[in-house]
Amino acid sequence: MLFNSLSFVVFLIIILALYYSGVFSWTNRKRILLFASYIFYGIWNPPLVILLWISTVVDWIAGNKLSTEENKRKRKLWLFLSLAVNLGFLAFFKYRDFLLDNFTTAVNSYGYGYQAQPMDIILPMGISFYTFQTMSYTIDMYLKRTERAKTFLDFALYVTFFPQLVAGPIVRAQDLITQFYEEKKASLNQFFWGLFLLTIGLFLKIVLADTLLSETADNIFGSKAILHSVDAWAGTLAFSGQIFFDFAGYSTCAIGIALMLGIVLPDNFRYPYAAIGFSDFWKRWHITLSSWLRDYLYIPLGGNKHGIVRMYSALMITMLLGGLWHGAAWTFVVWGALHGFYLIIERILRNKIHLKINPYNGILLALLTYILVNFTWVFFRAREFDTAKNIIRSMLFMNTDGEKILATFDILKVFSLILILFSCHWVMRNTSMKSVSLKHLHGY
Amino acid sequence: MNLKQSFIIALTISLTGILAWEAYWRAQGKIPDLDDDKNLWAIQRAKVETASKNDVILTGSSRVLFDIDLNEWEQETGIKPIQLANAGASPIPVFHDIVNNTDFKGTVVVGVTPGLFFSTTSPEANPWKRSQSRIDYYIDRTYAQRLNHWLSLPLQKNLVMVSTSEEGWTDDIDLKSLLNTIELGNRTGKPAFPPFYAFAYIDEDRNNPMSERTATDTAFAGTVQKAWKFFIESNKNAPDKEATTSFFLADAEKFMKRGGQLTLLRCPSSGWLKKGEDQFLPRAEFWDYLIDKTPAKAYHFEDYSQLKDLTCPEWSHLSAPDARFFTSELVKIMKADGIISNNKTN
Repeated sequence: MLFNSLSFVVFLIIILALYYSGVFSWTNRKRILLFASYIFYGIWNPPLVILLWISTVVDWIAGNKLSTEENKRKRKLWLFLSLAVNLGFLAFFKYRDFLLDNFTTAVNSYGYGYQAQPMDIILPMGISFYTFQTMSYTIDMYLKRTERAKTFLDFALYVTFFPQLVAGPIVRAQDLITQFYEEKKASLNQFFWGLFLLTIGLFLKIVLADTLLSETADNIFGSKAILHSVDAWAGTLAFSGQIFFDFAGYSTCAIGIALMLGIVLPDNFRYPYAAIGFSDFWKRWHITLSSWLRDYLYIPLGGNKHGIVRMYSALMITMLLGGLWHGAAWTFVVWGALHGFYLIIERILRNKIHLKINPYNGILLALLTYILVNFTWVFFRAREFDTAKNIIRSMLFMNTDGEKILATFDILKVFSLILILFSCHWVMRNTSMKSVSLKHLHGY
Repeated sequence: MNLKQSFIIALTISLTGILAWEAYWRAQGKIPDLDDDKNLWAIQRAKVETASKNDVILTGSSRVLFDIDLNEWEQETGIKPIQLANAGASPIPVFHDIVNNTDFKGTVVVGVTPGLFFSTTSPEANPWKRSQSRIDYYIDRTYAQRLNHWLSLPLQKNLVMVSTSEEGWTDDIDLKSLLNTIELGNRTGKPAFPPFYAFAYIDEDRNNPMSERTATDTAFAGTVQKAWKFFIESNKNAPDKEATTSFFLADAEKFMKRGGQLTLLRCPSSGWLKKGEDQFLPRAEFWDYLIDKTPAKAYHFEDYSQLKDLTCPEWSHLSAPDARFFTSELVKIMKADGIISNNKTN
């Protein structure tokens, strides 16, 4: 079920009515939330709920064992079991065809006439999100960084809590499970703020992403023509706006819906297009994923504690796998590689150039960061490397006779929206909607 | 921070805005309407799964959609046909789906609009894709999608402001369509698409009578004619008679072998469009060629004195009263031929 659908409106009204009816105990309200979460997921494709159940049961058992087991080898085995199941699901459902394609290409380059059978597997919605979430629990249990969940109900609800089930934020066990231990009820102000966030989120997703920007991006990235520079830029900027509004909008909805139930979820986006540099960008873009990758991939790979070469390798591997997490194609890997490359260059430059950031050079550096981020979006959005190459060449003004395929109004629409987006991010970069609203209310 | 007050103010502004928007479009003459989208089609397609030997399925392009009045048919025969025709699309994929994915053994009427029927079998070409995408949607649709559509029907029937279309008519009033009507010069250098306004109202069973305005206001009908001219003149693809015919005939043979009754139907067209069809897709080379190769019963409007002089206000479809007449006459002819029986109980 999508937040931007009529069925979700009805679903949410029923859940809120049951949740606040005063008839049910806290345990029963949690059971209602859990059951509702399975409906929320299963109404799209009922059999795939089984995957959620398997993930939940395996990680619950692994977590329990890890909480009592002291034998190092056995602890490793339990961790391995959890990772194997979760990554196995991901590999099978998300990466099977990609792996098979590459395997076939590799085998055939040695002259074997191998023909793979594509299985046309359906991609379970949100699988990348909930597998990462449950894995974080087992890894934290293994590293003794978190307490085991008190009851199976609390754990199952942590894995399946519908507001953040399919598109994040990816929440850590200690931040969410503990909230389920005590009875939760949103205060009136929390409830209205949650409703406000849900509304803003829907506005970002439906109006700005889907209605105003997606068509321009689709037209440009779906075009076979060699494009005029203005068109290529308009398409890429439109996509940069679309993906932000779509994703941040959806996260904002999730945070708002949870808040209406009295549950606090972490921020996922903090005005990323005003980032100065790329480490700043990743502290602002899909924060719960980048901190997940930092804690469970970059640091275990060595982080910055084992010298420069190891650090840069860890950074690059993290970004490459981060790219692959977004989609099973080489274009996503290149997207990750570009970000890895940017991060490495930035670290090298930081050691050489010491710049004091003021509002004047700050906005220029933010603009430079945003422009460089746009080049990465080309690989993220393009389905073929040829498309990406043509668009990048046009963006670099190398296709002088490029075709104009967008109408004047489309271009004006995209450039003005993106100007507003960038300005808002710049103005808001050190604050939040909440503090701005508090300031204004106190002013009256 | 007191958000209750902010909430009440926001709610008041939103409701006022929504009501004003609704009132504005009603004042502009808009009435609530259903969208002939993939959901509406899929509901009809689902009926085929449980249809009996007595049932009738209509497939074809927009001519079958406009020209066969389902209520009239039901009145004449006691059976309401399942309307699976798709505007601007080839009926061949739909017939292929019925033959290969169901065990339906009743009557199938296939409308033959020469420019679309004989156009292509290429999955990527528009006439094919427009039909196939609906079949794919029917196969893949989720419970969530079905519920969303079911919930949207009462809104579509009662509110003008939710009116939108999969087709993308010039007079659609959703935000994206309204913005798309803004023109600031011609940057691309390509000929601009003429305005193409919706000219029918569809109901839940996909009965799709032409709007009265199209039938009575010649200037408005002229805008639709301009759109046909643009489509036809900008289409550079030659018809693919051999491929389309042989693809269709294979399914036709299979369907008739299992006891199904197949009927081909050529609906009326007029004016410039009819002349073009006569010149580029002449009856002898296309229609006659097709019906010679199949034992299926075939009806061409020109062969019947009561049908041959019907005039289409915008060259391609009948007005609502003429569609009722056409349907009742066609049913009479088909009954006389023993193609359909009268199941009326009264």
